[in-house]
Amino acid sequence: MIQLSKNYSLPERQEEPIPIKVVGVGSAGSNALDRVLLDGMDKADLIAINTDVQSLASSVAARKVQLGRSSTHGLGTGGDPELGYQAAIESADEIRQAIAGARMIFICAGLGGGTGSGAAPIVAQLAREAGSLVIAFATLPFSFEGKRRAAQAQDALSRLNEIANAVICFENDRMGDMVAPKAGIHQAFGIADMTISQSVRSIVNLIQRPGLIRIGFDDLFAALRSQNGRCLFGFGESDTDNRAHDALTQALKNPLMDKGRMLSEAAHVLVQVAGGPGMTLSEVEILMRELGRHVRDHTQIVFGTAVDGKMGNRLSVTIISSLASEDSIATQDTSPPPEPFLAPPPAILEQVEEQPPAPPKIDIVPEIESAALPEPAPDDLIAVEPPVAAEAPPPPVPAPSIKKPAPRLIPPKKKPVMEKEAKPPKEKIVQVKQEVLQFEPVTRGRFEKSEPTIVEGQDLDIPTFLRKNIRVK
Amino acid sequence: MANSDLIVGLEIGTSKICVVVGETRPDGTLRILGVGQAPSRGVRKGEIVDFETAMKCVHEAVVDAEQKSDVMIRSVYVAVAGGHIQSFNNRGCVLLPEERDEIDDQDVEDVKINAREVSIPAQNAFLHSIIQHYQVDGQDGVLNPVGMLGGKLEADFHIIHGVRTRIQNTIRCVKELPLEVEDVVFSALASAQVVLTQHQKNLGALVVDIGGGTTDYILYVDGAVKQSGAIAIGGDHITNDISMGLRIPMARAEKLKTEEGSCVLGNCLPGETILLKDDSGFAGKEIERETLNTIIHLRLRETFELLKRTVEEEPFINYVGAGIFITGGCSLVNGIDHLAGEIFEMPAHVTHAQTLSGLTSAVENPQFSTAIGLLKYAQAVQVDRPRRGITRIFGRFFSGMR
Repeated sequence: MIQLSKNYSLPERQEEPIPIKVVGVGSAGSNALDRVLLDGMDKADLIAINTDVQSLASSVAARKVQLGRSSTHGLGTGGDPELGYQAAIESADEIRQAIAGARMIFICAGLGGGTGSGAAPIVAQLAREAGSLVIAFATLPFSFEGKRRAAQAQDALSRLNEIANAVICFENDRMGDMVAPKAGIHQAFGIADMTISQSVRSIVNLIQRPGLIRIGFDDLFAALRSQNGRCLFGFGESDTDNRAHDALTQALKNPLMDKGRMLSEAAHVLVQVAGGPGMTLSEVEILMRELGRHVRDHTQIVFGTAVDGKMGNRLSVTIISSLASEDSIATQDTSPPPEPFLAPPPAILEQVEEQPPAPPKIDIVPEIESAALPEPAPDDLIAVEPPVAAEAPPPPVPAPSIKKPAPRLIPPKKKPVMEKEAKPPKEKIVQVKQEVLQFEPVTRGRFEKSEPTIVEGQDLDIPTFLRKNIRVK
Repeated sequence: MANSDLIVGLEIGTSKICVVVGETRPDGTLRILGVGQAPSRGVRKGEIVDFETAMKCVHEAVVDAEQKSDVMIRSVYVAVAGGHIQSFNNRGCVLLPEERDEIDDQDVEDVKINAREVSIPAQNAFLHSIIQHYQVDGQDGVLNPVGMLGGKLEADFHIIHGVRTRIQNTIRCVKELPLEVEDVVFSALASAQVVLTQHQKNLGALVVDIGGGTTDYILYVDGAVKQSGAIAIGGDHITNDISMGLRIPMARAEKLKTEEGSCVLGNCLPGETILLKDDSGFAGKEIERETLNTIIHLRLRETFELLKRTVEEEPFINYVGAGIFITGGCSLVNGIDHLAGEIFEMPAHVTHAQTLSGLTSAVENPQFSTAIGLLKYAQAVQVDRPRRGITRIFGRFFSGMR
């Protein structure tokens, strides 16, 4: 086993930490901020910004900024984003002062209310003007909070999207799924705070932690960059025997991950694996292989790993990605369907360049088949046609004669996409393989020599999944 | 020993051989003294295929039980299973002689013999004739006709029969040890004795005993057995499916089935895997949980669907009020009750032997339902016996006490 020991890696650099500030805007923001602080955060300064003095006073953040001393007089905004906006403009100087000197600023805000929706975009703007990178963590209100709040939240979100370098958006409705139905409502809100805190801390760690394979800002933004999209985030940590597996499982369980289902649609996925000096290469390998099952082949995986003495026995996985907004996914999804048309086997095994003209090819197939075999069965090739697979060599003979019609058919084709050409042959091979498997003399395993149990004409000793032709891996 | 009666139940199962020793107390209660078991070899689908090996295993189990319960085992009740066992309902009828109109014991015996006068395949033998109801001169629902007045006695019997030679194989295997065989009992009938209460039998219940090699069922309606039978599919098939589907050794598949398997689909994360640690002669392997569950689910679903079709050939399933009771080793698969409930569209429960004192930890395992049921069956039969014939019961007593 190869071990990534300390002497193998570069000598640990004791480098300047990147100045990072975490800003909580509004009450929801400062709640999240408190949570971040309570969970432990020593690598960043925390700043609470609010219009409501009472809420501000109860915050545990080291630095506090009161907005709109003269416009709201220390009261809240009463859910009016316009008021929040005014207050932020009024206190712009104080905000500037507070956030000065940071290379990176995280803004936590609950959208939908007054201060969060109104002031957060201003804070983001000021931070950008000061030359910092801005990542916003925004929560969207529960749907039961009303359409008005939802609209305000969407408004603010789109403004944040324009200004901030990246926006990670948490939908409270999804947090609700994480909480047992009987749990109190405070727990539902608590989960949202916890998730934000977790993501802030893991991103800070991601950036601050000296990495063997370093993840930089550029990687982070590549993973988060999407128009008005939804951010996927997962974090897991484990110290069990099977920690690689457990940590990943935990990361995928995160509510923003949707059990890993969403990952299959992501274009970029950023993964950081961090562990103590005892982390082994094979662990990382297992983990990445497992993760690989959740993403598509063409998804770009940005991988980073870090060894941190403080991690001790633990191994943590951070997964960050983003999805394009619904409509762009829809357009992507329309492209794959042609694949089924490419199914007829001989043509594809023959020449790859012929397959893009999908619809016309239906004409070709019967020709080949009538030449090679007496029985054409265009569609249900899986069931009927193992001979075709077995007799793969014969088709080449008629092939040259078919090549002639092929050019004639090419003109009508519209857009052959390179990627699609590459993919289908692979699937093809898999299908052919299965046919062969099915027509092998089926074994009955341990019941080989016992009296068969035949009911309704079926030998029940043969595994059900084989008889029902259900594919298992 | 003097005032208690020793009963021993022996089940020669496909995966294990199980011997339960119990005693009936003078007050009529049944107490379990010990449970012996041994892994079974030479048995496939509930039937003996390797006589010598099976005998050794039975011996092992009997010795184990003797040690644990500190008694000498002389005679046993044996459970039989296997796909060859079939059943049907038949009505017997006797007409009382002109000069007599009181029904006596002999008439009841006669009607039973009469009910058996049906053609079963030549190689088959009767296992049980279970009384459902008597009818006296067309009066329905008579439970005990002895002493009643009437001219015509009819009786509905549920008759269970199986291939004679196969049943004899089991008996011979025990006799060679040598042990006396008191009786052979269809395994589902035995299980039902302890799994169901009288109330549940009256309500109507379907007992499904899924063992290693066979799935036996028995259906009660109105307190009487209406249907029974066996399908030669069991837990072994699941193990075999897993082994073939995942390409892992049998022993691994068995372990995976019992420790990780579930027949509920869509309950795990996509890509969630189980890591099989490597071992001598076996390279480690990662297995997708959903795949494992799919294999188990498909097999069990098919088995239940087959069972449902079989049971639905007669109308009795519609009168089942208490639901389905699943027992046997395979009932330990997670979620099996949900699956059965979904397929049969009635409540399903996983149960074990309910009403006994003594070694309750043993009782609570559904794997032992049949063997414990044998004791209960034996107890019930012994109480009945004095009425049937005094010489027989004495003969039994002697052989039991010697």
